[in-house]
Amino acid sequence: MEEYHNESSFNTEEVDNIVKECIENVVGKDDYNPNLVNKWTSAIVERCLKQLVKLGKHYKFIVTCALMQKTGAGLHTANSCYWDTAADGSSTVRWESRTMYCVVSVFAVAIA
Amino acid sequence: MDEGGEDESIETTIGTSSYQHFRVNQWSTTIVEQCLSQLCKLGKPFKYIVTCVIMQNNGAGLQTASSCYWDNATDGNCAIKWENKSMCCIVSVFGLAV
Repeated sequence: MEEYHNESSFNTEEVDNIVKECIENVVGKDDYNPNLVNKWTSAIVERCLKQLVKLGKHYKFIVTCALMQKTGAGLHTANSCYWDTAADGSSTVRWESRTMYCVVSVFAVAIA
Repeated sequence: MDEGGEDESIETTIGTSSYQHFRVNQWSTTIVEQCLSQLCKLGKPFKYIVTCVIMQNNGAGLQTASSCYWDNATDGNCAIKWENKSMCCIVSVFGLAV
């Protein structure tokens, strides 16, 4: 994917850092817990979204998060987007701890 | 939203298969591409994002969530979960009005 360094374009590095920080803050110190995983995924997506909106750029955002327990199962994710490749962008962050995997994707769609 | 189109794409791609590590990459790609082309054929003024998660069924827990900052009046999404004995598949479609 192309890297944009323009102020008003989608900056994947900035977004990746925001997402990593949100994940660490929510589940960084915890082991997988089926009673809490619902709260964690909601907290991660909401926190990421708030931080992204604070950037004040002219985008609509979609943040998705998948949290999976580590048991040796295979997991695969794929995304496909029909949009304006010059103005819109996405970024995916994969994070893991001892007991779980977390995959967060951010999609930014430019507002005309 | 077009839930029938998603179900159909999943069924035709992995409907009769068991989880195979070396094929799952191709399957998830095919599913999202098929869903996207069906959606585009609807000819509506939307930008689309289709995501697909395929997981092997071995007792692991999986939770997904999404959060969207958009125009509630014109934009929307839908998600469907499909599973068979060896794997489960979650497909989400987000549509943003142009």
